[in-house]
Amino acid sequence: MRTAVLATLFATALLPLGRLWKGPTLWDRLTGAASLNVRIALALAAEAAFAGHGILLDVALSYALLGFLGTVLVARFGERGQR
Amino acid sequence: MIGLAFLACGLALLFLGGLGLFRFSGPYERLQGGGVGDIGGSTLFLVGLILHCGWEATGGLLVLLIAFFLFTGPLSTHAIAKGAFVRGERPRGRA
Repeated sequence: MRTAVLATLFATALLPLGRLWKGPTLWDRLTGAASLNVRIALALAAEAAFAGHGILLDVALSYALLGFLGTVLVARFGERGQR
Repeated sequence: MIGLAFLACGLALLFLGGLGLFRFSGPYERLQGGGVGDIGGSTLFLVGLILHCGWEATGGLLVLLIAFFLFTGPLSTHAIAKGAFVRGERPRGRA
């Protein structure tokens, strides 16, 4: 069950990775990176819940927080431009 | 059993959101597909995880993670869309 859920989750993570790879603009790549962050945090939470590693839940929460922070920072940076 | 149903629904919604993110044309369409799929899919997935693995295995941290995703998903979507609009990306008109 754990293997099936994690494999399906990583299969769904391939599509934002493809958008991150070939998105024409910065905003497409940023959207792909945000979705990839969500899926990685979900994979960490699933591993923690299935295997009973409680410490990975803290790691997942921290990863989600840092991913959100990075997304907002890059969006604000790209909004301000080259000056 | 109902936990497995929630997990399957969440995974399906995550897949559909990723498919929209990959296949749509234009930044705003991709943003809509990715944002909606992420928020709904992650909420369903985490609820299914709580129901399937039990409350003791995870504590309240998964509820905190659900609340975090529900709050920050629209925020990051708004930040990306505002940046794209300020930098001159325009949504395509109907004509």
